[in-house]
Amino acid sequence: MDIGGEHQIPAAREAVWRALNDADILRRAIPGCEELEKISDTEFNARITAKIGPVKARFKARIQLEDMDPPASYTLTGEGQGGVAGFAKGAAKVRLLDQGEGASVLKYEAEMRVGGKIAQVGSRLVRGAARKTAAGFFANFVAILGESAYGKP
Amino acid sequence: MNANTTTTSGIGGSVRRREDSRFLQGRGRYTDDINIAGQAYAVFVRSPHAHARINGIDTAAATAAEGVVAVFTAEHTKDIGGVPTGWQVHSKDGEPMAEPKHPVLAEGMARHVGDPVAMVIAATRRQARDAAELVAVDYDPQPAVVDMKAALAADSTKVHADLPGNLCYDWELGDKAAVDEAFAGAAHVTKLDLVNNRLIPNAVEPRCAIGDFDSVSGEHTLYTTSQNPHVIRLLMGAFVLSIPEHKLRVVAPDVGGGFGSKIFHYAEEALVTWAAAQVKKPVKWTAERSESFMSDAHGRDHVTHAELALDADGKFLALRCSTLANMGAYLSTFAPCIPTYLHGTLLAGQYVTPAIYCEVKAVFTNTVPVDAYRGAGRPEATFILERIVDQAAAETGVDPAELRRRNLIKPEQFPYQTPVALQYDTGNYEATLDQALKAADYAGFESRRKQSAAAGKLRGVGLSCYIEACGIAPSNVVGSLGARAGLYEAATIRVNPTGSVVVLTGSHAHGQGHETTFAQVVSDMLGIDYDAVEIVHGDTAKVPFGMGTYGSRSIAVGGAAIAKAVDKIIAKGKKIAAHLLEAGEGDIVFENGAFKVAGTDREKSFGDIALTAYVPHQYPLESLEPGLEETAFYDPANFTYPAGTYVCEVEVDPDTGRVTVASFHASDDFGNLINPMIVEGQVHGGLAQGIGQALLENCVYDADGQLLSGSYMDYCMPRADDLPSFQVDTTVTACTHNPLGVKGCGEAGAIGAPPALINAVVNALNGGGHPIAHLDMPATPQKVWAAMQSN
Amino acid sequence: MSEQITVTVNGDTVSARPAANTLLSTFLREELGLTGAHVGCDTSQCGACVVLVDGKSVKSCTMLAHQAAGTNVTTIEGLAGDGGELHPMQEAFRDNHGLQCGFCTPGMVLSAVDLVSRNPDPSEGEVRSWLEGNICRCTGYHNIVKSIRAAAKVMRA
Repeated sequence: MDIGGEHQIPAAREAVWRALNDADILRRAIPGCEELEKISDTEFNARITAKIGPVKARFKARIQLEDMDPPASYTLTGEGQGGVAGFAKGAAKVRLLDQGEGASVLKYEAEMRVGGKIAQVGSRLVRGAARKTAAGFFANFVAILGESAYGKP
Repeated sequence: MNANTTTTSGIGGSVRRREDSRFLQGRGRYTDDINIAGQAYAVFVRSPHAHARINGIDTAAATAAEGVVAVFTAEHTKDIGGVPTGWQVHSKDGEPMAEPKHPVLAEGMARHVGDPVAMVIAATRRQARDAAELVAVDYDPQPAVVDMKAALAADSTKVHADLPGNLCYDWELGDKAAVDEAFAGAAHVTKLDLVNNRLIPNAVEPRCAIGDFDSVSGEHTLYTTSQNPHVIRLLMGAFVLSIPEHKLRVVAPDVGGGFGSKIFHYAEEALVTWAAAQVKKPVKWTAERSESFMSDAHGRDHVTHAELALDADGKFLALRCSTLANMGAYLSTFAPCIPTYLHGTLLAGQYVTPAIYCEVKAVFTNTVPVDAYRGAGRPEATFILERIVDQAAAETGVDPAELRRRNLIKPEQFPYQTPVALQYDTGNYEATLDQALKAADYAGFESRRKQSAAAGKLRGVGLSCYIEACGIAPSNVVGSLGARAGLYEAATIRVNPTGSVVVLTGSHAHGQGHETTFAQVVSDMLGIDYDAVEIVHGDTAKVPFGMGTYGSRSIAVGGAAIAKAVDKIIAKGKKIAAHLLEAGEGDIVFENGAFKVAGTDREKSFGDIALTAYVPHQYPLESLEPGLEETAFYDPANFTYPAGTYVCEVEVDPDTGRVTVASFHASDDFGNLINPMIVEGQVHGGLAQGIGQALLENCVYDADGQLLSGSYMDYCMPRADDLPSFQVDTTVTACTHNPLGVKGCGEAGAIGAPPALINAVVNALNGGGHPIAHLDMPATPQKVWAAMQSN
Repeated sequence: MSEQITVTVNGDTVSARPAANTLLSTFLREELGLTGAHVGCDTSQCGACVVLVDGKSVKSCTMLAHQAAGTNVTTIEGLAGDGGELHPMQEAFRDNHGLQCGFCTPGMVLSAVDLVSRNPDPSEGEVRSWLEGNICRCTGYHNIVKSIRAAAKVMRA
């Protein structure tokens, strides 16, 4: 299943890039994220509660950043184990385009796979849930960016 | 057949069911209703991956959780035997099928979503469920193979690394050379590729099992949702747990529907039985519905190429079929015989087709095991045959009823030897065809089509002339075909001193009404009151032996065993009567419930004979033992061959592709009927499952082996408003080789309905200007609409 | 310890302290031993667990035991009369062979009782539509529909 999107962000590309690598901002922006621990510059462990249709589960997730090309792009891969609820894994290619005048555009293309009970009971709903999660993430991200030092010129 | 006109309680009467009193008042006793003092609850941790190496299982947190009694993994169960298969099929080259081990808990590798990996036992259901969440399994996901063609490719992932590939067997039946020759000389050849969609049985009662162990006596008891408790005792005791039969009791109490899915021996049954002895507590497991979807054996799942050769007069010359049949990840109890001996042998249908050749490749995939589901092999054969005959009719411009009629086996041709091993004993196919066409007003279809067209709908009519081989099965025949056990049935008739009768039967009822039907048979044969006959089934401690209920065998094999035992009772009764009446045994006749000296008015009632047998004051003790109890084993001489014609009319909404069943008429020949009301009900239920397959139901796996249709929100079960009221009737040619002349009626609807419905949809589209040759099941609005847009 | 609730079940007043997350179906089956309500699924689709709560049909797996506090619950065990005489709906199911394995039957019968209380003379289509939330795998619904319409006729008289 593939989803993708594009978001206008009222902040300079460098600032957005740094925010995208900031564990605290990511934690606050990821819907349902309870914990995000930075293991290294490119590795995070997270605990995320997600609800897909009738299945609600707490995922232990491992997130890795690959293909780093600062401040233009990276690939974010994640794998979450939700116990009896099953698992989710995905990869998102994230690109930042500089629009000048303190603005940038973030584009992403993601593919996601689910397994176990999430697939069994919630497969019809996964794409919608994924879109909603992605939209929630970017809305949060832009809002947090606005409040934080990154967003200030 | 009118269920309401007959009031007799004997054979042929539509007696109201005695089991209904308890079911209607919530007094049924299903397995999950049973609670044993001190019982613990089991929950299984199941693989979320279709194929994954298990690097390790950390059970520490689960073991330490509140209420947890034990956590078991393959490490603990490695001495338990694998779940066995009851049938061995040989390939074309004579080699036996590949038969991989089916461990009760996954050993180092999970092979389908739902494969059990660990068993958590706790004091309460909730604690067990919570602790199961804490079991940490380190999975290393492997590529999964779901598609059968892909599984047979040389470079495919192997479901079982220790096998050469994913082929279970490559089987054939029939004379290939004769078929090739017939095709070479054919005037017309019709070809068709079809898929018989994978189904999930979905008895509304989920599976449940309770193990209990008496450490003093060493006796194990298993309560389980089974169609055949004795078979479970045999398989589990002898092959899985090594418990001798006298220390193992299996009880299948009231069971909430089976449809085949509760024939098989499942790992969970063995595990609760074993675990109860380990933890010294009764252990209960009840499947949640989502668990049923990924652990009950599935049904069907065939991909077939078929070709039919006809001569210039539309006579069938030959048929050839090549089928891939999905076995899933492991071989379930009956799995190997379903696409072979219950499928290939049925390809003659009701027709004289001189040459038939069928080959079947059975394939392992990373999916739930596939086994018998209502009809089991016969719906697949019927779908092939009745679709290709319809397509041949369309291609040659002959009316589908007429083309069928030209090729029917005629009444004078019985017994009829088919080219695919079976010998049909009796039938009158033209009679059911005529009856169905008349009752469904086939001749008047055109005017109904016009009416529908005026309302903007496309109307179609479809026929299906099915045959099935039931009354499974003659032991010698199936033994020679690979069955590892005979398939006879046993019954004991125990006459009590005051003349009431207890019948112990190896058949098992899970909706079929045996407690009523069998009592009708016995009361009728003995001339005693229906209420004086009690039927006991479902408990290995009460019933001597039995092979259970499947393959529409209960009345034809189980009923025949009962009739045979009754005959033995009458024979002994005659001896006692001869003594009491001071007559020769040969002069005693048994009529209307009394033993009489032929040609005189001297007689003894059945009750007198029973009392004498148990209170033998005036009794021929020197030549006859007291007591009146007889056991009989009945091994059928042949299969029985129910057959019929179904006529379905559908309306298709051209704007949405939605198919509505406008009418459905079923004419069946089941031989003699014991209880027409129950027979009618069996047909209704079968039709609903057949229409469900054709219109609604579909099991879907994604390419990674994830089960996408794993709930009632995603797997479309037929609801009341998806179905019409049915018209059903019967014709009778009595079975020639069993004492009751019966054939069995449980599976007919599920066998005959799918092609009738698809034929009707194809007919509707063709008649509405959208020529298509075939449409795979289920005919969902999306699929029908897409077919209409493509031309 | 959970809060105490009082429920009238089949005419008897029951006081209990079920855990807060106990479903009404679990409460009836496991705490009161009323096993007539069956659990056939885990997504509230099958309807085998239907009971009447203040006369209205409810899937007892979708309701918490605590939500039933103060209500009048009728399960299949309580439908027949005090003298054991079957309710007309039970009688009609028996007469018309409206059940086979019996597992969905308690839910079917109680759903049907609710239907007829709302609509004393339902058409075939209305019955079929009402039964959308009750799955039967055995009967093909034909005889269930017939049973319900026959019972409605008796109940109207």
